[in-house]
Amino acid sequence: MATARLLVRPETRRTNSPTSANRRRRRVRPERLAPYVLVAPAVLVILGFRLWPLLLGVNFSFTGDGDRDGTPVGLDNYAELMRDPVFRIALRNVGLLVLLLPVAVAIPGLLATFLYLRVPGARVFRTVYFFPAVLSPVIVGSIFNLLLAYDGPLNAGLGAVGLGPADWLGDPHVAMFTVAAVHIWATFGMALVVFLAGFATLDATLIDAARTDGAALRQVIWHVIVPGLSRTIQFVFVTTMIGMLTSMFGLLYVMTGGGPGGATYLPEYYIWIQQGQMNRPALASAASTVLFLVMLVVGLAQIGLLRKATRED
Amino acid sequence: MRASRTTRWLAAAPMAALAVATVYPLVFTTNVALKTRHDYILDRFSPTRTAHWDNLGEAWASAGVSQYFVNSLIVVGCAVVLLLALGSMAGFALSHLPFRGSRALFLACLAALFIPFQVIMVPLARTMTGIGLIDTYPGLILAYVAQFLPFTIYLMTSYYSGIPADIVDAARIDGSSVYGVYRRIMLPLGAPALLSVGVLDALFCWNDVLIALLLMPSAQHRTLMVGITSLRGQYSDDIPTFAAGVLIAAVPILVVYLVFQRQIADAVTAGATKG
Repeated sequence: MATARLLVRPETRRTNSPTSANRRRRRVRPERLAPYVLVAPAVLVILGFRLWPLLLGVNFSFTGDGDRDGTPVGLDNYAELMRDPVFRIALRNVGLLVLLLPVAVAIPGLLATFLYLRVPGARVFRTVYFFPAVLSPVIVGSIFNLLLAYDGPLNAGLGAVGLGPADWLGDPHVAMFTVAAVHIWATFGMALVVFLAGFATLDATLIDAARTDGAALRQVIWHVIVPGLSRTIQFVFVTTMIGMLTSMFGLLYVMTGGGPGGATYLPEYYIWIQQGQMNRPALASAASTVLFLVMLVVGLAQIGLLRKATRED
Repeated sequence: MRASRTTRWLAAAPMAALAVATVYPLVFTTNVALKTRHDYILDRFSPTRTAHWDNLGEAWASAGVSQYFVNSLIVVGCAVVLLLALGSMAGFALSHLPFRGSRALFLACLAALFIPFQVIMVPLARTMTGIGLIDTYPGLILAYVAQFLPFTIYLMTSYYSGIPADIVDAARIDGSSVYGVYRRIMLPLGAPALLSVGVLDALFCWNDVLIALLLMPSAQHRTLMVGITSLRGQYSDDIPTFAAGVLIAAVPILVVYLVFQRQIADAVTAGATKG
């Protein structure tokens, strides 16, 4: 509680003797302190273990590793990052995910639309679809390692319909798509639930009116539902992108380990390897800072674009 | 609104196919987990004729899953209790007690919500090493609390904002202290929100692998998810036992999901409605 007292020190300034002030404050208005006491532990934890590390990390990214530990090196780490082919692959994969993003949003969006339109069995579908979203990426990755094995069920199924087996995780041109697809499989339920919450706020009479005026389902979706859900769509776009950039670590760690040949690196995986395996924490910090900037730019760009698109509609 | 009959039935077919695609991986894994190693090598797809439960026992005992399980329970249990305590205290203060800087504090919380762990993981690991909390239960618990507290505070603040100030005023007039209001009114009234956010926090912590991998490197401290990743190398030639370990890790989540489905969805969407 010493910290709480520290926080309220300005309030006690108007009394002259600290001991009598202390006593009087405790007797007369102890509740004056209460908000600070209630908030202090949370503030300390967030300050100490979230905001402070952020500043430390940015600062740390301008220092050296190994022999140059602790010495300022300016932008050397950033220059090295840009020269590192693996980091460039990681950035290219970010671009790939941005391209896949519309798919990752459209799937839950369409499914939510049909659930909203009360497809038979909607309740069961909803429960089933959402389930993978609560599973750990480690569990999902482990399960898909079994499914996608060269002699696993997926290739066996493909063989049954006359298609050759694919090396889902071993082919550098395929592996990143495979991991991204598994990520989408595992997370679309989360976006689906958000979409459904958005639908719940839609004005149903507007849709009914459009229907009575003879609008086709496609037109209703495009001209009534999409504009009505613009805020929800924005939210899903941004959170799905953040999810793709920050919650695929478990999948990558379990399914590919960044391979084959670095083909499935993402910045987050790169940070982990540099920190944990290569003992290059300063370089890892620089990669962290880049990831943060990428997320900021992508997020702001998306919000800007979507806002413009939905306004024109 | 209802779409036409045909549209609805036409949509139902691909949706059912997708539902099967969602469930099949789990069914497959369960099936593998119940096969003998011999059966698995001969035929990995057909349903097991006789369920071979020994794999589960093997994974639980010999593979160390029980130890990982207990580690996860300790860490997640402590983290969730702390999250709910700190989150509800702060949420109450931010929603019902006017004080200098409360608005700024709430905004700082929201900002912290958008700092991904990957961005702070390197300095956090260094800090934890510096204060001697690396590879300890308190260190990992603290990291989880820091990671999910902004979300917890945000949800508790918005939930408590919906509770009329009159209730607080009435209790104060009756002579209750602020702490009394928190303990006797806010905590019980907040139960539904605490349950929702608690379940979601528990899932987040239980499912995490990156934070645990970073801050709990030694084998005897491994959490369940980290343990599962190590199981794979260990049992690469005994897939049924590996599948059994995966199944053991998935079942508690399945149970929590089926019991608290609505609460989880509530918490997820409560974070979303802000837009």
